Amino acid sequence: MIVSILALVASAAVLFYAKRMSAHVQEWALPVCVAAGLIALWDIACIVSGSEVFPSPLDTVYAFRELIESQRLWGDVAASLFRVTWGFLLAAGIGIPLGLVVGWSTRTFRALNPIIQGLRPISPIAWIPIAILWFGIGDGAGVFLIFLSSFFPITVGTMAAVRNISLVHQRSALNFGVRRFELFRRVVLPAALPQIITSLRIALGVAWLVIVAAEMVGMDTGLGYLINDARNAGSRYDLVVATMILIGLIGILLDFLIRRLEVFDEVRWGYTQR
Amino acid sequence: MSSSKRKAPQPKVVFEGVSKTFKKKGEPLEVLSAIDLTVDEGEFVCLLGPSGCGKSTLLNIAGGFERPTRGSVKIDGAEIVAPSSKRVFVFQEYGIFPWASVWDNVVLGIRHKSKAEQHRIVGEVIELVGLEGFERAYPMELSGGMKQRVEVARALAVEPDVLFMDEPFGALDSLTRLTLRTELLRIWNERKPTILFVTHDVDEAMQLAERIVVFSARPGRIAEIVSVDMPHPRDIGGVEYGNIKNRLYELLGVTHMI
Repeated sequence: MIVSILALVASAAVLFYAKRMSAHVQEWALPVCVAAGLIALWDIACIVSGSEVFPSPLDTVYAFRELIESQRLWGDVAASLFRVTWGFLLAAGIGIPLGLVVGWSTRTFRALNPIIQGLRPISPIAWIPIAILWFGIGDGAGVFLIFLSSFFPITVGTMAAVRNISLVHQRSALNFGVRRFELFRRVVLPAALPQIITSLRIALGVAWLVIVAAEMVGMDTGLGYLINDARNAGSRYDLVVATMILIGLIGILLDFLIRRLEVFDEVRWGYTQR
Repeated sequence: MSSSKRKAPQPKVVFEGVSKTFKKKGEPLEVLSAIDLTVDEGEFVCLLGPSGCGKSTLLNIAGGFERPTRGSVKIDGAEIVAPSSKRVFVFQEYGIFPWASVWDNVVLGIRHKSKAEQHRIVGEVIELVGLEGFERAYPMELSGGMKQRVEVARALAVEPDVLFMDEPFGALDSLTRLTLRTELLRIWNERKPTILFVTHDVDEAMQLAERIVVFSARPGRIAEIVSVDMPHPRDIGGVEYGNIKNRLYELLGVTHMI
């Protein structure tokens, strides 16, 4: 309790004097202080409320250790990442070429866009019964659901990117006799690439949200299942919160990895200008 | 110059009764009305007029990007129905590809030639526009003026007989614009392509063109064709320059005194 109050006061003090810090120090000091302050508040709230079920920060740390020692954690992490990776790659592999073609060809756009727009608002969660019916409980259903949740952002994002290609670039290509397949390789794909990468990033974020929900409802492994299991097996909310934090950390890591795509010379123009 | 030494001018680009009507909210809107114009081989012609007078539309028709409603444009006697890399368009908003390096942009029109040929030509045009050392740079790392040089280099690489320039320096600051005009004249003297240059800037037209085609607006018609019989470098403070300029302002219907 005392430690928490001190931490809260200390972080408040640091935030108060933030103006005097250099930009570089602020960059790490401010978020660390905010995090420390929130953890301190969490701890104080636990003590004040006298909750028996809700874990304190320290309980959560112990729960983390228990999870890591239990060995089952890595199996669940691997299961979730496996489903997300394959579902996402499948969606990108089909969604990007489809989006390029639908975005470029007006007739294909007219034919397919209404169907794509009609299927898009259906939450992937609503597909869970059908996924289980088709693939049973397990990885197949998980991959299918992640495919669905990534496919629409990627396809729609790619379509929009292609339809946004500037008339001047199209005419330049035309002027120098670039057509058909070469047009896709030299103009359509590179022009759309920055926005495609953005849509991949959005899709991966959605995929990571959906997999947890899907595993809570219809699977017997994975981080979502772990949360459900921890609650059902004797209200282990400490394990629930520890798993939630882990889900957040992996989400940050995934986003960090996919953002590596944005630094290449061929796409950097799409994020700095406009 | 004696007429016996100079070849008789060959007509290069011929506009015959070119009209263009757009549909605007269901109403037909005539933007160009019966344009007749002959541009000779190796000539530098400016199309001058207020915004919306149809001069860019005329250039787009000549470039093969749009079709006239009536009439035709012929280059070397053949009617223009589609763009070709023998006639290159230089755009105002940067038409170069931001995802490709300077080298890859310039090589676009000669990508089917051998690697050795590509090296020779790209090296040559990059030197011509003064971009040595920037071959590996990306457009986002270049200033506006340098991007426009890349665009000009890309156009010159294919050795076009006609250059269509649609306010190519419009987005640049006035000093860069002056420099690039001088360089364009130097390149024109060296290679003598036929140039059709659209601008709404009276000084720009005066400094560049051998003949200035002045447009009146709505529908776009040729008001008058003004010859600028002044050798380069032109004295832009002289009396002759001033007289032609006054005439142009008069034709455009704007006052030249503020």
